[in-house]
Amino acid sequence: MPEQVTLFLIFLKASALAVGGLASLPLLRADLVPQYINDAAIVQALAIGRLGPGPNGLYIVSLGYFVAGWTGALLALVGASLAPLVILPATVLARRWLLSHWFGGLVRGVALGTGGLLLATGASIVQAGGTQWWQLALVAATIATTVQGKLHPALMIGVGAVVGLGLGR
Amino acid sequence: MTTPPSLRELARAWFDISTQSVGGGTSTLFMIRRILVDRHGWITLREFTEAWALCQLSPGIHLVAFAGLLGDRIWGVRGVLVSVAGLMVPAALITAVLTAGFGQIARHPLTIAALAGVAPVSGGMAIGLALTTAGSVMQRGRMVAIDVAVVAAACAVLLLNSSLTIAVIVVAGVFGALFLGRKRPTSSEAPTS
Repeated sequence: MPEQVTLFLIFLKASALAVGGLASLPLLRADLVPQYINDAAIVQALAIGRLGPGPNGLYIVSLGYFVAGWTGALLALVGASLAPLVILPATVLARRWLLSHWFGGLVRGVALGTGGLLLATGASIVQAGGTQWWQLALVAATIATTVQGKLHPALMIGVGAVVGLGLGR
Repeated sequence: MTTPPSLRELARAWFDISTQSVGGGTSTLFMIRRILVDRHGWITLREFTEAWALCQLSPGIHLVAFAGLLGDRIWGVRGVLVSVAGLMVPAALITAVLTAGFGQIARHPLTIAALAGVAPVSGGMAIGLALTTAGSVMQRGRMVAIDVAVVAAACAVLLLNSSLTIAVIVVAGVFGALFLGRKRPTSSEAPTS
């Protein structure tokens, strides 16, 4: 299979099997690290994705760029844009089905499962990036501000970069 | 609903949403409401709320499903294309350009030092968003213990064996269909008037 098709299927699969923007990360990390990229690229893609505008899930475009340049970014964008649109035929063809108890339960189960996977992936990223005291303090502060949701994410990335410049050399 | 927009006006509205909402998630959601519901009146608040509830059932990025549902309501199939492309393409282009620009400075010693501080922030954001996502579908009261157990089990399995992502999702989905289907998923981000 051509490389581009393989990559497109990786991005499409990750978007189709996860519920929520960043939930695709564990699936992508499993398929892309270490064959295509390393954890450092994941860290950078997450930060760049949060610096740019639009949905959180757009980190996938940055990740695509790290994997295969502009082609990779395009493949990631198309994969991430197509998967959620399955809701359109579903609301027409299977509305009753969508509103059933068991389907609601299935989506809740997948959301909780992917949430747990993302938790583990976050922990792995932290571990790969280093666990000195000031780095763990940054982790704790970022978790708190992300959950609270009031502070602009770019601010925490800026704080991290400044602290890194001061203590990371 | 007021007069339907031309496709050009619809594209313009989504372009504004795409380029002006920084930080993702809730900020984008409120921008959509302000522009499509409050400013133009192309969508009623009720349609907006219904579509948001429905798109919680979609895979992947919920805002894409949301843009698709609203575009379909306003303009049919062409509205879907214009809305999803309008939401995603400008922001994706900016993200890709930022990534390309970063490539120019990636090997500089100062960048490498700064990244030692950005890595824990990225990891913390992933953990924080995992907690927010899981928290938004959790039940209230005593049943929350089951939900927490599902999250903890999925997390533990991946830490022990990193190749089991799809298996975890399938098992969590089947478990959910059998035992977690008492009420429909809701989101703490659901817009309230």
